[in-house]
Amino acid sequence: MPRSQVGRDTDRVDGRLKVTGAAEYSGDYRAADLAHAHLVTSTIARGTITSIDPAAALASPGVLRVYAAPESRLALYEVTGQAAGFTENYLPLKSDVVRFHGQAVAMVVAETPEQARDAAALVTVTYDAQPPRTSIADEPHVPAGPTISGAPSSLEILAPGVGSIDAALAASDVVVEAEFHQNVQHHVGMEPHAILAVWDGDQVTIHAGAQIPGPYALAMAQRLGILPQSVRLITRYVGGGFGARVVLWSDTPLAAAAARELGRPVRLVLTREQMFTLTGHRSHLTQTVRLGASRQGVLNAVSHRSVAERPTTIAFTMTPAHSTSDALYRTPNLHVDAQVAVLDIPGSRAMRGPNEAPGAFALETAMDELAVATGVDPVTLRLRNQATAHPATGLPWSSKHLDECYRLGAERFGWAGRSATPRTRVDGQWLYGTGMATAIYPAHRRAGVVARVRLLDDDTAVVSTATSDLGTGSATMVAISGADALGIPVQRVTPEIGDTLLPPGAPAVGSSGTHATVPMVVDAARNVIAELKRLAVTADRSPWHGAAVEDLRYERGILHGLGHSLTFGRLLTTIGSPGIYKESAPGGQPVPGYVHHSFGAHFCEVRVNRFTGETRVTRFTTVADVGRVINAKAARSQLVGGVIFGIGHALLEENHLELDTGRLASSTLADYLVPVNADVPDIDVVMLDRPDPVLTGPLGDGSEDVGTGSLGARGLGEIGTVGSAAAIGNAVYNATGIRVRDVPITLDKLIDHL
Amino acid sequence: MRPYTYAQARSVREALRGAGPDTAFLAGGTTLVDLMKLEVVTPERVVDINRLPLDGVTLDHKGLHIGALERMSDVAAHPAVRQHYPMIAQALELSASAQLRNMASIGGNLLQRTRCGYFRDVTTPCNKREPGSGCSALDGINRGHAVLGTSDACIATHPSDLAVPLVALSTTVHLASPRGTRSVPLDTFYTLPGSTPDVENVLRPDELITGITVPRSPWAARSLYLKVRDRQSYEFALTSAAVALELQGRTITNARIAAGGVGTRPWRLTAVERALTGRPATPATFEAAVTHAADGAQPREHNAFKPALLRRTLVRALTELQESR
Ligand SMILES: Cc1cc2nc3c(=O)[nH]c(=O)nc-3n(C[C@H](O)[C@H](O)[C@H](O)COP(=O)(O)OP(=O)(O)OC[C@H]3O[C@@H](n4cnc5c(N)ncnc54)[C@H](O)[C@@H]3O)c2cc1C
Ligand code: SF4
Repeated sequence: MPRSQVGRDTDRVDGRLKVTGAAEYSGDYRAADLAHAHLVTSTIARGTITSIDPAAALASPGVLRVYAAPESRLALYEVTGQAAGFTENYLPLKSDVVRFHGQAVAMVVAETPEQARDAAALVTVTYDAQPPRTSIADEPHVPAGPTISGAPSSLEILAPGVGSIDAALAASDVVVEAEFHQNVQHHVGMEPHAILAVWDGDQVTIHAGAQIPGPYALAMAQRLGILPQSVRLITRYVGGGFGARVVLWSDTPLAAAAARELGRPVRLVLTREQMFTLTGHRSHLTQTVRLGASRQGVLNAVSHRSVAERPTTIAFTMTPAHSTSDALYRTPNLHVDAQVAVLDIPGSRAMRGPNEAPGAFALETAMDELAVATGVDPVTLRLRNQATAHPATGLPWSSKHLDECYRLGAERFGWAGRSATPRTRVDGQWLYGTGMATAIYPAHRRAGVVARVRLLDDDTAVVSTATSDLGTGSATMVAISGADALGIPVQRVTPEIGDTLLPPGAPAVGSSGTHATVPMVVDAARNVIAELKRLAVTADRSPWHGAAVEDLRYERGILHGLGHSLTFGRLLTTIGSPGIYKESAPGGQPVPGYVHHSFGAHFCEVRVNRFTGETRVTRFTTVADVGRVINAKAARSQLVGGVIFGIGHALLEENHLELDTGRLASSTLADYLVPVNADVPDIDVVMLDRPDPVLTGPLGDGSEDVGTGSLGARGLGEIGTVGSAAAIGNAVYNATGIRVRDVPITLDKLIDHL
Repeated sequence: MRPYTYAQARSVREALRGAGPDTAFLAGGTTLVDLMKLEVVTPERVVDINRLPLDGVTLDHKGLHIGALERMSDVAAHPAVRQHYPMIAQALELSASAQLRNMASIGGNLLQRTRCGYFRDVTTPCNKREPGSGCSALDGINRGHAVLGTSDACIATHPSDLAVPLVALSTTVHLASPRGTRSVPLDTFYTLPGSTPDVENVLRPDELITGITVPRSPWAARSLYLKVRDRQSYEFALTSAAVALELQGRTITNARIAAGGVGTRPWRLTAVERALTGRPATPATFEAAVTHAADGAQPREHNAFKPALLRRTLVRALTELQESR
């Protein structure tokens, strides 16, 4: 008798394919008569192209075409309406305007990738350059406008009789004010962006890594001036998204338009260098947090302001207080405000924990400063200020067990013995310290998701939905929830994802893939079981022919009733059907009247070398309240990966924007540092596994015989990233007595004070 | 990459025949092929020297002899190196990654090019790549750049870890050209950038490195290489120190000290060596000896921390060496 795999450790359905190299990523697909493209990018940040000379490139061996700005032969069109939010606001290679350093200004297509790349180096471009706007400090600040979820990015809530947030702060016994900076960060997925475009008449098939297949294909259709149904996007295996594959950048339309113009399939693979300017980054950011509290640390006022970049081509609106400072703590006076400065910088985009990771770094560092200022233990301080209603809206949470995260985390980590006095633990050359911080991340529900469940006559099932697996394990999640809903082993379920021919799937963004998908799979399973029963009583050769549906009971892949028992496969065989399928209803909005977040608590220990100032993370414990866990193994690796992101955020990751040239200084993985294995200690991760009672699914027909074990999940892809950098910074303070508010915390910021 | 001809040489003479400014010798290729792909170097001829008999690691009364084509990983693993020259093994093992060390040769390591990001980006001015075009690093992002031995024309750091202990131990480089062979101290093999940063050493275009000799010394066995960097592995040094001490009782009778990550070439610190000699091996001695280690340093906007970090690196290395017996 199969037991449900929900919540257990399940190996990835595609793990073997991936580690043996058999899984085909976008750049691995082949096509007959394939041509290869290579981009030429701008070397100024703002100005106009005065000339492009393609002659040498055209004369180079194997070259088929050089498409060059300002007026290439490529047919590209404006994207309007909702799809416009999923792409950039200019047509690549269609004007002489240079908007950022590293913009595509020409594209060479040749018989081999090497010929294309070598010829691209022969294209000479001259410019009329203007001084770029590059400083968020100096350029004028304008309000950021609404957040991605439509909430206002500025908000002020004042207690009765309080005139302003400044007055609330002035009236507080203890005030902490701190300013934080962080530089540009990059997604740096392992797989570079690669596109294969193959036309068949007016239909185009695109192989590309995309996090939101549907809107991506829609924007693509508009860009190419064709009907939405003429674009098929296949995105089966993706080597990391982290936000860089949400929008349609210039690369995919250029490859597809070239394939159309040339009349041959075209593959375009970006170089690592090009990835740094053409596929988005996390905006650099300045934040100011002010906390006012009583001497016991009870908050009276929270103010969180930020200034981020607004690139001219596409901008992710940075609202770092959103879902952190407006959500985490109870406070009678709350003020959040997000400003941006228009810059001539490559397009920015969401990056894992887009607002929340930087926001929590600022807020949770300031909370640590408040703990120091009041002498209250950091965990106690947070418990003392726990919000029972969402501060910005006053609504209750669908489910919240943050207090348990703190308590369990403190216990597992051994927080109790901690010395609150900095610089008291020394082991040889190393100063040791511990720190903690809170994690919070919104559980976005995406409407419109549809799943399809097919039952086959060999007793297997196929579950289909056009979501995308970025490497997170969503295909496995689809299989597990299908198996759970049908009561059959996971091995008998084939997940089918990453293809826009499938029913519309969940976007692989905002930690929403799992909890948007699972209820739809359950619903589709319910529908297909109802269909199975209907067939059982109507089909001629069925033993239940003529019986009532109510006489039948479906359990673990088997129909029982009136003395007969048949697996669905047997029944289908008996009645001569190869298979049946049903879709779910489209997913709806969550039940109104609640706010939804996942929560967590991070605890960590660092050591800092007292001579040379390197910070090394030695221990890490994270306890997360993420609703129901579907696949414990994948969930743990998501949380561990999130914490590793936090290590990068805290200690390593930054790219400098050169103020006079507008060039991003780093464009390789030797210069843009992400953590390597040696930087990562064992990370102890616990998930509370408390199903969210509100985030379930569309209510079905109430039949008791379909498993609902997979309902009540919230997202967890990003929450490990949120707060982990603050925990590290707080531990550095505890180790050294030095507070670094500009991440990454590199040794040069410490050694003068050690 | 620009088109080039490729030939495999079977003897040193064959390799050198016709070699000139447009020739590149291919050893492990981990620097050369990289820079050819970026079109930072564009040789017309590539001569593969991997078949030349420039191998072998031997120890005799004169010292340690290493063939130019020995791979970094093999040298690091060699018992004689580990026992008698621990800081050479350490410097190698703290370099690059295991895969790279399996490919990269000792000769190539000494001739690897700077990691200055502007040098590697052909769209930016760089005097080393294109003499006279200017130096983007002076007012650019220069956190990794050198503070010692710099000039107005170039502040690029010499990136090799291995070269640091080799310079400390007065290593000799053996060279061969159609005119014959010669041997040059590694310290003077490297030149300062001055107004010609494109010239990095005294090697002539038709000259090969055939091997190196590290003299035998009583202090090399008591040595340590310390590398300081932002992440724990797979990164070039912000600063590094090669330290070797000979002690009689608690008194330092001989010291060999060099630093990496701070100079336009591997930086021998003879003043620090002198300040240590004859003193007791104590923290106070170490602190006092390094006070002038970075004298003359010319820090810029993002690398202003390097002089202090250098002094701290040296003290830490000496302390670790002292504690490690
Ligand atoms: C990602 C990465 C990380 C790295 N990290 C480090 C690090 O942390 N520390 C460190 O020290 N190094 C590091 N390196 C550099 C690496 O050690 C060198 O690239 C390597 O040692 C070069 O040796 P090779 O045999 O591959 O040289 P090649 O690339 O074959 O040659 C390099 C140059 O030397 C010339 N040449 C080679 N052999 C001879 C010879 N016998 N005579 C004359 N000319 C010759 C070539 O023509 C070429 O100009 C790193 C490299 C990479 C790619
Ligand atoms: S420091 Fe040297 S290598 Fe770097 S840009 Fe300046 S001249 Fe070129």
